[in-house]
Amino acid sequence: MELDRDKLDRFVDGELPPGEMERIAAVLTDSPEQNAYVVRQESLRNRLREGFHALDGSIPERLIQAARTAPASWRWRLRAAQKPNRLFRWLAPACATLLLGFVAGVSLVPQGDLVTSTSGQVIAQGALDKALDGQLASEASAGPVRIGISFRNKAGQVCRTFNNGNNAGLACHNAGVWVVAMLVRQVPEDAGAAYRMAGSEMPDAVRRAVTASIRGEPFDATMEAQAARDRWPQIRTSGH
Amino acid sequence: MEEKQLAIVRHSKMDPSLDPIRAQIIALLPRLRRFAIALTGSIADGDDLVQDTVERALKGVHLWEKGTRLDSWMFRIARNRFIDGRRSAKREGTVIAEAPEELGSASLDGEQALMAHLTLKDLLFALHRLPVEQREAVALVLIEGASYRDASDMLDIPIGTLTSRIARARESLTTALGE
Repeated sequence: MELDRDKLDRFVDGELPPGEMERIAAVLTDSPEQNAYVVRQESLRNRLREGFHALDGSIPERLIQAARTAPASWRWRLRAAQKPNRLFRWLAPACATLLLGFVAGVSLVPQGDLVTSTSGQVIAQGALDKALDGQLASEASAGPVRIGISFRNKAGQVCRTFNNGNNAGLACHNAGVWVVAMLVRQVPEDAGAAYRMAGSEMPDAVRRAVTASIRGEPFDATMEAQAARDRWPQIRTSGH
Repeated sequence: MEEKQLAIVRHSKMDPSLDPIRAQIIALLPRLRRFAIALTGSIADGDDLVQDTVERALKGVHLWEKGTRLDSWMFRIARNRFIDGRRSAKREGTVIAEAPEELGSASLDGEQALMAHLTLKDLLFALHRLPVEQREAVALVLIEGASYRDASDMLDIPIGTLTSRIARARESLTTALGE
């Protein structure tokens, strides 16, 4: 059996089929020179492996902390925020209908505690208006509305996602009011149990609306707080 | 899986609030760290490279295709960051160490640890004399035990190129380490 260096290296690295590994092992017993080569290479492999694996007991805390806390891509966070569940898949056609109704005519949007319609626009009111205006995403919410992410849209307006358990949506600040660009109604999972979305959850339709309208990246906590202090100013953008 | 790695995996799974992707990255840290230290030739530089890789990976985690191997993706990031760092250091005229630095702050606990420390120092010295292309092949196949197929995928080279790099590295290392 012809045993060149390449074959012997593959033997040492376990890269040959089992039958061939056995045949080579048998040949090596009668070939002292080639056997010595294999022994040297196995020794090298073991030395490298043991030398480097000795490092494993001392993983620096800073690396673990980086993995735990370094900022993750906002696109990933958006994706993770949308936790698909059987309910939402089942509801998707219904949600689409609701959204279509929203776009087709404000009169189709149910009036209620969250929104009102004025001059063809859906405007946040009550607890929603209060939360959008003054609540930071990082704050524990005492009220019914939780704020998700804040960002600037392509028109330069500040927009924020929200969720009150029964409804989730997106509103953008324009001329001193919060214009609700999207509202998705959630319904209880079953007749007897009130379904409340977790604060971080965001329906797929809202996530898509954010992705389609965002300019740059979402605000971090500092930017969000500054925008709140400045009363959510719109900035000029080219083309708007 | 070895006991130490199991401990890290357990550590990362203890916190149920931890994002699964972060838990997976924590479990990968020992492997990434060995690879980075083999590439850079120093524990301190290797740890910096791992931290940079982790931060970079999380920042671009949406680019990782779910269902593909996270380890391969992160090894590629580490390798690219290392190569980019060398290129930019060369452009800026920074002197790149020709020999591995002192091993830094590895904790020494008893004679066994001291021996491991000295062994690693010898290994890093010998590895650092190899061209980077051979070093990364050795790091993946001989140290990490990656298959030729996985290593060639991570390095984006044909298997034949990988095996010839390992063969040349073997010759240099056996001479340098007196095997």
